[in-house]
Amino acid sequence: MRNWFLLFLFSFLASAGQAQTPVLISGRFVHLPGVRFFQQIEAKTPYFFYYDRSQLDSVFVNLTVNQQPLTDILRQAFTGTDLQFAVDAQNRVFITRKTSLIPSLPKDFFKPSAASPKTDNTQAFVTNKINSQTRKAIATDTKIYEVGLKTNTFKEGNVVVRGYVRQAKSGEPVINASVFVDSLDRNVITDQDGYYTLNLSAGRHRLHVQSLGMKDKLYNVDVYNDGTLNVELEEHVALLKEVVVSAQKVANVNRVQLGIERLTIEAIKKVPTVFGEADILRAVLTLPGVKTVGEASTGLNVRGGSADQNLVLMNGATVYNPAHFFGMFSAFNPEIVKDVELYKSSIPAKFGGRLSSVLDIGLREGNKKAITGSAGIGVVTSRFNVEGPLVKDKTSFILAGRSTYANWLLKLLPESYENSKASFYDANVIINHRINATNDLSFTGYSSNDRFNLASDTTYGYRNLNFNLRWKHHFTNQLLASFSVGSDRYEYDVHSTKNKVNAYTLAFDINQLNLRSDFSYVVNSNHTLEFGMNAIRYNLRPGSLQSRGKESLVQPNIIPAEQALESALYLSDRYTITSKFSLSGGIRYSFFHYLGGKTINYYAPGVPKDEATVVERRTYKAGEVINTYHGAEYRFSARYAFSQSFSIKAGFNSQRQYIHMLSNTAAIAPTDIWKLSDPNIRPQQGNQVSIGFYKNLKANTIETSVEFYYKKIKDYLDYKPGAELVLNHHIETDVINTKGKAYGAELMLKKTSGKLNGWISYTYSRILLQIDDPSTAFPVNGGKWYPANYDKPHDVTAVGNFKINHRFSISMNMTYSTGRPITLPIGRFYYAGSQRVLYADRNSYRIPDYFRTDFSMNIDGNHKVNQRTHNSWTIGVYNLTGRRNPYSVYYISENGLVKGYKLSIFGSAIPFVNFNIKF
Amino acid sequence: MRKLFICLFFLFLLASCRDEYELPLRETDVSLLVVEGTLNAGQGMTTITLSRTVKVNDAATIKPVLRAALTVEGKNGGNYALNETGNGQYTLAQLPLTFGEEYRLRIRTADNKEYLSDYIVARQTPAIDAVTWKIENEKLIIYANSHDASNNTRYYKWDFDETWEIRSYYTAFYRWLSGTTIVPTISAYNSRCWKYAKSNTINVGSTVQLQSDVVSEAPVQFIPFGSEKLGVRYSILLKQQTLTREAYEYFNLMKKNTESIGSIFDPQPSELKGNIKCISNPDEGVLGFLTASSFTEKRIFITAQEANNWRFSQYCPMEKVLNEPDSIRIWVPGYLPFNLDNFNGVEYYAMAPASCVDCTKRGGDLNMPSYW
Repeated sequence: MRNWFLLFLFSFLASAGQAQTPVLISGRFVHLPGVRFFQQIEAKTPYFFYYDRSQLDSVFVNLTVNQQPLTDILRQAFTGTDLQFAVDAQNRVFITRKTSLIPSLPKDFFKPSAASPKTDNTQAFVTNKINSQTRKAIATDTKIYEVGLKTNTFKEGNVVVRGYVRQAKSGEPVINASVFVDSLDRNVITDQDGYYTLNLSAGRHRLHVQSLGMKDKLYNVDVYNDGTLNVELEEHVALLKEVVVSAQKVANVNRVQLGIERLTIEAIKKVPTVFGEADILRAVLTLPGVKTVGEASTGLNVRGGSADQNLVLMNGATVYNPAHFFGMFSAFNPEIVKDVELYKSSIPAKFGGRLSSVLDIGLREGNKKAITGSAGIGVVTSRFNVEGPLVKDKTSFILAGRSTYANWLLKLLPESYENSKASFYDANVIINHRINATNDLSFTGYSSNDRFNLASDTTYGYRNLNFNLRWKHHFTNQLLASFSVGSDRYEYDVHSTKNKVNAYTLAFDINQLNLRSDFSYVVNSNHTLEFGMNAIRYNLRPGSLQSRGKESLVQPNIIPAEQALESALYLSDRYTITSKFSLSGGIRYSFFHYLGGKTINYYAPGVPKDEATVVERRTYKAGEVINTYHGAEYRFSARYAFSQSFSIKAGFNSQRQYIHMLSNTAAIAPTDIWKLSDPNIRPQQGNQVSIGFYKNLKANTIETSVEFYYKKIKDYLDYKPGAELVLNHHIETDVINTKGKAYGAELMLKKTSGKLNGWISYTYSRILLQIDDPSTAFPVNGGKWYPANYDKPHDVTAVGNFKINHRFSISMNMTYSTGRPITLPIGRFYYAGSQRVLYADRNSYRIPDYFRTDFSMNIDGNHKVNQRTHNSWTIGVYNLTGRRNPYSVYYISENGLVKGYKLSIFGSAIPFVNFNIKF
Repeated sequence: MRKLFICLFFLFLLASCRDEYELPLRETDVSLLVVEGTLNAGQGMTTITLSRTVKVNDAATIKPVLRAALTVEGKNGGNYALNETGNGQYTLAQLPLTFGEEYRLRIRTADNKEYLSDYIVARQTPAIDAVTWKIENEKLIIYANSHDASNNTRYYKWDFDETWEIRSYYTAFYRWLSGTTIVPTISAYNSRCWKYAKSNTINVGSTVQLQSDVVSEAPVQFIPFGSEKLGVRYSILLKQQTLTREAYEYFNLMKKNTESIGSIFDPQPSELKGNIKCISNPDEGVLGFLTASSFTEKRIFITAQEANNWRFSQYCPMEKVLNEPDSIRIWVPGYLPFNLDNFNGVEYYAMAPASCVDCTKRGGDLNMPSYW
């Protein structure tokens, strides 16, 4: 019944002239709802309609007109209804029921004259007494806001309206709120700080401001000149029956970019996880196109990319190791996360430096009105956060921390684990300060720390430390700028002190200093430019082995530090050609300077790089440029909307990556290192083309999409057999340049609202690699294509949440995927005096398929608004079916025979409980 | 409840779950032909060994390929058949090869499959300049030194034969005959033996990085402290041959692949592709890389004194056994007598574990090698 849009064919043959000459309209309207009918006419003619929506909900227009004036059309359209209309001189059309309005006063109204006879055509004035109660309720609907200095007439041309959308209660910005302009059929989304910029013609407009969980607001705006319109949205509390809040509802259809997944913290919190703690990375893993090697693995593999090809940003800070405890928990405190955006295909030009994806984690702003907080207790972790104003309505802070208390649990374990220790914590500080209407300052600090030793005398530890300071400034209404400076650090160390003679510390760290400037310039309603500059100064210490303690005889082995400067300039334009067709194009030009002081080995060309083939060793002074790589990266996408709920998009994307993680073990290793590109290791490059189809159903409450992609990767690093990565002074001899191709299809069905919501996704994806380095004598698998470690072709994930009532909901997720590839020995032979194992082609076998179901119940306390604290419980079971999903398969020699074993991380159902309190 | 919880949690976290896993093996994959050997282009015997790969969990050490026909074919003429000498070995006392000429090997197995190697150039190997050794980090390291004035060799491979003398802890002048009979011997009985070993690692080296083709101290063998090899006197016969670049890379890869892989954290292995193909079935893989060259050799001796008074220790407790059959029966043959003595007039045999008395029980050979 709502399929009217499919039948809808609409074309205007005549365009509007001056208001004096009646506008002639042609078109065919098939079962078009009244409001849509008016919107169509408003969009193409100077007419502006005033009506009460509720009076029109049963009105549908079925009409074919050809070169007819509006009055005729309306008369035809309203036959059989009690609707009346009136048109005034300013082309305002008033729709009423039963009685028609008289838009102009009688000619002699201001010249009262008893003599003047009552004319025949005297119209009866209808005066409606509106009482104050009604007036208030309809205030926003009917109130007219003025933007810019009021003038008598609207000026010609375009003006810029800018403003922010904030929560009325806490003053927090509302990100991704949609500001929809009726007359333009256009929609802008607020940015990270709640700001939006609209470019529209001067005149009267109707703006709809919507956001998830907020009450919709409607503004009638008279725009005279450039100006500001700030919006405060009230939290939406559904009182009685479920209300469909369709904010963001058309974002997936409307935005130009494709391959973007967005998760709000509310959605993340509904995904059941191992220990009941809301987990950002686990939730991201349920999205189509995102995979992981195994359960306890840190890495995400996005569209066939390796784990190091993802840029993980937290409020702009790069987090190198986003996981705690071997990847069991993600390192982001869910209490302060606002939302997560994953760019799989159309990566905005402002981001760069990684091939596969950008995971942009936005943190909340503190409450600017009152001190609030929350705390949670789980089986192994607990968390606490407090936030509030430092200066009311101007400055806010958030302090948040999480910690584990697993150590005391370990003491209860059997003796063999007696010496095990595991602990981690993370802490965040966020400060936001509004200097004035055009200047905002924010500071983010983050630290995470992990330390564990599992039944051995070796202690592993790693830390992230990030600081970021950002200043946001509006130069004009059209030009917005953001400047940030930050420092990111990641380090790990491994040490053992059991044997005093052999006691050692093995350490590694990355330090980077970031500078960013990003500008957004709204040229006019069709063009929005973004441009800016990024720079990263790297300083890596790729590994050092030092003795620990006085008695230790360990020979120090230190790999010289690496320095580099990665910088980039970018420019992108969002070009709206028509309301249906829009383009987004960007170019990013990146430079990479590898800097001294360092000694570089140069190898004979055309032969395998080997200690034996070094032809020259050259030493560079500190700060000297050793070599430079640079190149352009292109980001392009286009969207054509066939209707408001159906669009097709296509995109092309190219990326360069100058820092690489080196890890050639199949399993997790806490000693994976990062390496910068240098004269021997070229930057990785990736190109991706993708196409997507987006269709929303049932009043945008069901989103469906299909995306296809094909990706080529150049100079990906694979490893020679027997490669040594830790403490290797000439690592280039152990890596091989590899090319890769990845392709796949991602199907998604998402229900965003209602008692039952969630999504089902199916991903088909392949990632194949091929050694194309001509100097490699024995390429992997004879130079044929072979699947990467994380090639898992089929993946089905279903995530669902069913809200039984307002205090009780149940969540379930199910995931199935093909087992990952492994290399197995297929035989044994005797050669050169010894038994030797024969391996099959690399990754030619797969471990058994993976299947898991999790279940959780969320029980909220009462929802009384004025209560001091609110609490909730999460109870659930991870891996409900208890399936022993193999994590890895390996083989060891036992009594002269080689035996295979499979290892499962979570071999049975794991129950969990979590308690949260909010104040 | 809490206890259960904790156990559950940590069981998975730490102990996880380990189940036995059947390797998905296919019969066809596990029986590849393995060809090992060098066509000796200089003086001396050519030996080619044929075997087949076995299943990973097979009990057999080596599965020789019998009744195959092997022919060496010269590109410019000449066909030389090898003779089967058992155990998968095929030999010819002297191949009349010419340096610089190309040859290949044709193999026809008993199941009528035909294998053919690529043509390979017969190369001349330079002499070994010296075999040197050093004691470092609790081991004795033996090095190869060589050079090629024409700068042509570049890639080297070394194999070696080791010989070492062992002596019994106790010198025996008595021996056990049978039952409980012990008889005296004229000279020391089985107290001096020689043991032999062949190299069981792949030793290759290259001088590509050097301006001149000089091998200086390429390590070929490591003997850990306490090894019996240097208990008395040790000798190593180092054999050197030259390789092509392809052969060098093949052996280097095989070494990395099979001598340093085993556990879950180890790097991924890769497959080997040699220069022999199955022409009856091109999809069938063949292991091994056939080479053709002359060999040069050099032997050195190292005595325990030279090796900083090398210490080899054996645990050899002595038992005093009454010279009467019932007592002797308990100890022989695990223990062997080496002396007859008396204590306060009571006669007894001094006995010790067999390996402390009879060097053949330690795997030794009684015949002194000619070069000793």
